[in-house]
Amino acid sequence: MVGLQQFLILGAALFCVGMYGALAKRNVIAVLMAIELMLNGINVTLVAFNRYLQPPTGAASSLFAGQVFALFVIAVAAAEAAIGLAIVIAVYRLRRTVQVDELDMLRG
Amino acid sequence: MTEIIANIAFWVFAIVALAGAFGTVMARRIFHNALFLVVALSSVAAIYVLLSADFLAAVQVLVYTGAIVILMLFAIMLTPQQVELPALAAGGQRLAAGVLSVVLFLLVTGVIYSSAWPLAARPLDQPTSMQIGAAMLTTYIFPFELASVLLVATMIGAILLARED
Repeated sequence: MVGLQQFLILGAALFCVGMYGALAKRNVIAVLMAIELMLNGINVTLVAFNRYLQPPTGAASSLFAGQVFALFVIAVAAAEAAIGLAIVIAVYRLRRTVQVDELDMLRG
Repeated sequence: MTEIIANIAFWVFAIVALAGAFGTVMARRIFHNALFLVVALSSVAAIYVLLSADFLAAVQVLVYTGAIVILMLFAIMLTPQQVELPALAAGGQRLAAGVLSVVLFLLVTGVIYSSAWPLAARPLDQPTSMQIGAAMLTTYIFPFELASVLLVATMIGAILLARED
């Protein structure tokens, strides 16, 4: 029987797998991919809440507030991925590497 | 009958999404990571369809798998590595990251099962595109315009950062 809890656990699992990837991967692009996984986990949680919980009762809120929130998360994720990848390309041009361990120019 | 199909569909797509997620973080070659990410994101779009979020499922396929992953593939191909380097961090860091992820997952699962969710009488199953559009232009007009400004700034910034000079 699939209810709210199953969708929330799927969202939490996607988030935690993405968090492991963001912390343990060495390639910067792989870290960006793991961050996209985390954002997808969050979106699944938002849309599941939108479907199963009682609708919001404020004056300035819509019936689909959860899905609108998820849409904005997707837009911001797209912007962040574009800028992150542009930075990766610029750094690669300078240092010829995309390994996280070797990009320590800001370290003291 | 549709209930049974919906349940089976949820389990199928949830397992495929998690398999894609594990492949994204565990695969050795960076190109395989991107392909596993496509699998994970497409399965999440199917999960959105199961949650009656039709517009969001289309946007997920269009924007995430159709644009963001392609952008990542471009970046992968523009940053080739000469030597085959290890994909995951050293043992200690990997173990700490794994423990942290598992602990966080258990914590969140505990919260999910012990909370009294204010469930609606019936799940919300309406067509969403028109209502999302109306909400974007009335209630959420300010974040909508801000998102437009953000995307223009992103375009300009990405072009400037990746420019060759």
